[in-house]
Amino acid sequence: MKQSRRTGSRILIALVFLFLYAPIALLIIFSFNEGDSSAVWRGFSLHWYQSMLRNRLIIESVYMTLLVSLLATLISTFAGTFAAIGLYSLPRRRRDVLLTVNNIPMMNADIVTGVSLCLFFVAFFQFWGGFARWLNGVQSAFVLPERLTLGFGTLLLAHIAFNIPYVILNVAPKLRQMDRNLMDAAQDLGCTWMQAFWKVMLPEIKPGIISGALIAFTMSIDDFVISYFTAGSSTSTLAMTIYGMTKRRVTPEINAVSTLLFLTVLILLVIVNVGEIRQERRRRNPSVRKEPFGERLRRFLSTRTGRYVQWGITAAAAICFVATVSFLTAETQSIPVVNVCSWGEYIDTDLIDRFEAETGIRVNYQTAESNETMYSLLKSGGADYDVIVPSDYMIAQLIEEGMLSELNYDNIPNFQLIDPRFRNLSYDPENKYTVPYTWSTLGVIYNPTMIDGPVTSWGALYDERNAGKVLLINNSRDAIGEALMYLGYSVNTTDENEIRAAYRILDEASKRGVFQGKVMDEVFQTMEGGNAAIASYYAGDYLSMLENNEDLRYVIPDEGANWFVDAMCVLKDAPHMREAEAWINFIASTDASLANMDYIGYASPNSEALEQYPAYYEELYGEPMDPELYDIMVTPPEVLERCEMYENTPPNVRALYNRLWIQLGI
Amino acid sequence: MKRKLSLLAAPYAVWLFLLVVIPILIMAVYAFTTSDSAATLENFMDMGIYASVFVRSFRLAAIATLICLLIGYPAAYFMAGEGPGFQRVALALIMLPMWMNFLLRTYSWMAILENNGLLNQLFQKIGLFSFLSGITGEEAQAFQMLRTPGAVTLGMVYNYLPFMILPIYSVILKLDSQLLEAARDLGANSVQVFWRVILPLSLPGVLSGVTMVFVPSVSTFAISRLLGGGTQMMLGDLIEQQFLGGAYNPHLGAAISMVMMVIVVLCMALMNHFGEGEEQAVML
Repeated sequence: MKQSRRTGSRILIALVFLFLYAPIALLIIFSFNEGDSSAVWRGFSLHWYQSMLRNRLIIESVYMTLLVSLLATLISTFAGTFAAIGLYSLPRRRRDVLLTVNNIPMMNADIVTGVSLCLFFVAFFQFWGGFARWLNGVQSAFVLPERLTLGFGTLLLAHIAFNIPYVILNVAPKLRQMDRNLMDAAQDLGCTWMQAFWKVMLPEIKPGIISGALIAFTMSIDDFVISYFTAGSSTSTLAMTIYGMTKRRVTPEINAVSTLLFLTVLILLVIVNVGEIRQERRRRNPSVRKEPFGERLRRFLSTRTGRYVQWGITAAAAICFVATVSFLTAETQSIPVVNVCSWGEYIDTDLIDRFEAETGIRVNYQTAESNETMYSLLKSGGADYDVIVPSDYMIAQLIEEGMLSELNYDNIPNFQLIDPRFRNLSYDPENKYTVPYTWSTLGVIYNPTMIDGPVTSWGALYDERNAGKVLLINNSRDAIGEALMYLGYSVNTTDENEIRAAYRILDEASKRGVFQGKVMDEVFQTMEGGNAAIASYYAGDYLSMLENNEDLRYVIPDEGANWFVDAMCVLKDAPHMREAEAWINFIASTDASLANMDYIGYASPNSEALEQYPAYYEELYGEPMDPELYDIMVTPPEVLERCEMYENTPPNVRALYNRLWIQLGI
Repeated sequence: MKRKLSLLAAPYAVWLFLLVVIPILIMAVYAFTTSDSAATLENFMDMGIYASVFVRSFRLAAIATLICLLIGYPAAYFMAGEGPGFQRVALALIMLPMWMNFLLRTYSWMAILENNGLLNQLFQKIGLFSFLSGITGEEAQAFQMLRTPGAVTLGMVYNYLPFMILPIYSVILKLDSQLLEAARDLGANSVQVFWRVILPLSLPGVLSGVTMVFVPSVSTFAISRLLGGGTQMMLGDLIEQQFLGGAYNPHLGAAISMVMMVIVVLCMALMNHFGEGEEQAVML
């Protein structure tokens, strides 16, 4: 009876561990996969580890995560310990008030803490901006920076803020257990307060400090939500990088990172546990007890040489700390940088290396998910981009809100190569702010092996026969725009009834379970893997998908489609104007345009590149390009005539789009 | 002397005021204003249309918490009954995944649950689909598992189960064995000992476990985004949408955050009222 209960309980524990570890084991196994799938095994390989080590984004974010976690742990352990001592000697009522406030960040959902800190920082920056402008105006002894943005500093502050409560929570019980008279006794016996603290109090509360520090470190390392809201755009912890990667085409580089992380932690845990077991064994048989290392160390440290060593270590640590901080600040100041924000899979990454090698300017390349998310980032003060690549209608909105800076076209001679068709378009009629980057169409991508018959209408996206096989595009303008086109309305309609009618199409399809999900760049993975049959997406991206799944087809529906231009612009007050213009000029060049056309599948507005591309393709691949594919990439004028460009809509229509879009998700 | 020490609390009080109290006040200001900084209650009036998101969030989080409790309590209870060596290893194994990023752990479920994912491949191999189509006559090639409420709940259970096991385990471990002996001596059988002694005494652990699973579950946006595929909008997604997502409106976002905060605090206060609020049982 006893025995069987024991077996039963062990089976349950084993099942729990199986549940916890099976996904981790799979992650690890597929990090050695030859192919790029996380579900199909293609043989053993280590190349994902190599490519991970070459991935600057990953390496930098690992470094950032460690730096922030270590610094935050160090500072919050120190501050938390003294705060706990202080709290503990307060009268009870005041202590309880402070402890209640102290518990707020622990009780609150992370997202509330993150959001409130984000709003606080942004409000502070506004206040600071006014203050600095005033001070710089009235005196000239020193210049204060007027423009602060979210970044490393705010990230660190946020981490310290959510770590301190955990330290206090762990130190406080130890303080409560300690006999209050001990400190008094030590001081009566001639110790100074400092000596009493080091020799009496610290040893008593040390276990609490250590476990507090450990928990703080764990919390910092594992945190995603608070970092996501407080780090801004140019600082990225590993968790944020991973989140960004999961939204795009996922490569097993992620698996390689997690394997390395897992192994590191595993080794650390084994070392700690073996140490503890040894100590326990020693405690159990004191006869074989050698003087423990700790004792010997302590004795050594109390000698004169020991004290010098102690000072030396402290000084070295301080120097390291100062060096790291100054390195970080120096790096951001001395090397010329340009911060670029674009879309996922939207550049030939070799171009970044080439530009850096040619100009010595460091490119901080980031991606946003859609025009709407980029706009949110800009508005919430989280972004310190110089160059952005929004689409037509968003550019018009940004210009209207005074968020873009006029370009000096003398610094961008390659603008002359842009085909006149793509200049002075409706979003920037006098062409003062933009240099076009790509142009393409939004159409329907489908997998004929999974559905009956060819797709010719937007209606296929809402057809009940395709239930569960359709991916809806995850941004309001495109999704509602498609339904408007299906109904035969203009995509730029301001008629509320028409927009609501389009919404009803989406809503009904959604209620009938037609949509499998809402995706942006996850569409690559899902369509290529045959996990969905129909999606609407951009022609350029269809061409990249085709390389991984030959079944896929692209069609511009009979009702017409949307054609768009994405153009490079510089944000108002961008700190790196000169570098930004150099980047724009480089990207607009014929060479870069050709490389980009080939890599991302989007047509360039550069007239030379458009002309030379078929020859370029033939030279590269040794065969002429399929004319059908060329027509998908470079939409012929007669097809373009059936397409409509998005225009900026008045604020009340935008608000309606936002409201309906959220409502659709409910 | 006492007075001097209490000075140490002053900087922390200032810090708390700056980085805890003021941010929440600013959030409140946002919630009660419009973008033209005029005072308004509109943000709260509009909240009715999001009722279903509130319901879904609280329902899924409650289900996940319940499942965590049903798995976590027995696991913690049995673990505490094992030898010290076993316990040490088991404890380390439960903590270990927490050091790996939770997004990675969640992401690995995507590969398992996809239509062409590992689980569906497995079902295919063992002939489950041909078996099923033999019965129902309908042809099925895969179960839609990803992008369903079930997947989101699974993600929550998977990520937060350790937070349930650890506090319960540490409370059970500290139970006075003499109490159990006394109960047995007084004639209680093992079921009675469990229900009338162990369970009530381990309640503080259960309460902190429930808090630590429920609060992050109800406010998650990454899990619902990855495993729900945008079809299972939760409160976290709704808030994220208003700040960094596709529908910029921080005023509405702040209002939703406020309401969520109040409801969560009320839930927790209510729960702690039933089990006497023992905050020390939290964490390890």
